[in-house]
Amino acid sequence: MKIFRQLAIILLINLAGELLSEGLNLPLPGSIVGMLILLILLLTGMVKERHIAETADFFLDKMPFFFIPAGVSVMVAYTFIEGHLAAVVGTIVISTFSVMAVSALVTQLIIKRKRHD
Amino acid sequence: MISALSNHHLFGILLTVGLFYCGTWLRNRYQKSWINPLLISVFSIVLILQLVGISYDTYMKGAGIIHDFLGPVTVVLALPLYRQRMLLLKYKYAIMGGIISGVFASLVSVFVLARVFHLDELLTRSLLPHSVTTPIGIALTNSIGGVEGITVVSIILTGLFGAMVGAGLLRVMRITHPVARGLSLGTASHAIGTSKALELGETEGAVSSLAMGVAAITTVLAVAVMQLAGW
Repeated sequence: MKIFRQLAIILLINLAGELLSEGLNLPLPGSIVGMLILLILLLTGMVKERHIAETADFFLDKMPFFFIPAGVSVMVAYTFIEGHLAAVVGTIVISTFSVMAVSALVTQLIIKRKRHD
Repeated sequence: MISALSNHHLFGILLTVGLFYCGTWLRNRYQKSWINPLLISVFSIVLILQLVGISYDTYMKGAGIIHDFLGPVTVVLALPLYRQRMLLLKYKYAIMGGIISGVFASLVSVFVLARVFHLDELLTRSLLPHSVTTPIGIALTNSIGGVEGITVVSIILTGLFGAMVGAGLLRVMRITHPVARGLSLGTASHAIGTSKALELGETEGAVSSLAMGVAAITTVLAVAVMQLAGW
């Protein structure tokens, strides 16, 4: 019973996010609007953790499973990558390096500066 | 015979469940962090479909049902963010500063590298969310006209690469503060980076999981602003 009530709450918030994103023509995908709605509901206490916890933790724990069909669509997209494979991998590697270095340096700098104040 | 089987909607579901089970089994059996059940499932399904000559659309007759659950999977990402809210309050300037600079570095570096390597618009848009946690990355790529498959594979590669070199890079750069280390791994390489951060320490893991969610939202908002500005 509990699982279905929790799933219903999550799906309802998901649907609200989709309708809001479409209806207001927001530049944010509906599922992300739904996530922000849930975050606000949790922060304001209108939804308590126990109202969604078991079902949410199931999804969070098994998350990668739900990405498989999206990943398999790489087979219809391969023609776009063909001939650019090295460039694509290069972009991913160099960009990941820069994100890691920049975010680590900035964070450590701010923490150290705070400490000296 | 084969088409009767593959045209049944249970075929795509069974193939997905079965291969994810195999991938998870391999990971548990060998306990190696680079054995990624998602990547294994994706590539073995592509291989099987190609070898037997089954189209993506046929596979999606069943697998589409799994795909439809991406909505609720994305919504529940609010829960770990909510659980880590005290950590965000405690280090708000460092965490927000680090994440905003990281997201900026990600977007700028993809645009610059795409120009340097002569990547077309479609590939650029598909690669833009490569550091973002997968469900949000899929939603983002669909809303900016990228291709889901390219985005998902680029996100997994980003995670594996970040987890592989992250600890070494942070050591060379003399990043010693656990908040900075966790934030860097989570912002750059999402959930896979977070599992690495957990190996480094409890604070690293918690900050990484928080950073992964906040960085994803920040990226989506940054892209929304770019779109409003006419990108």
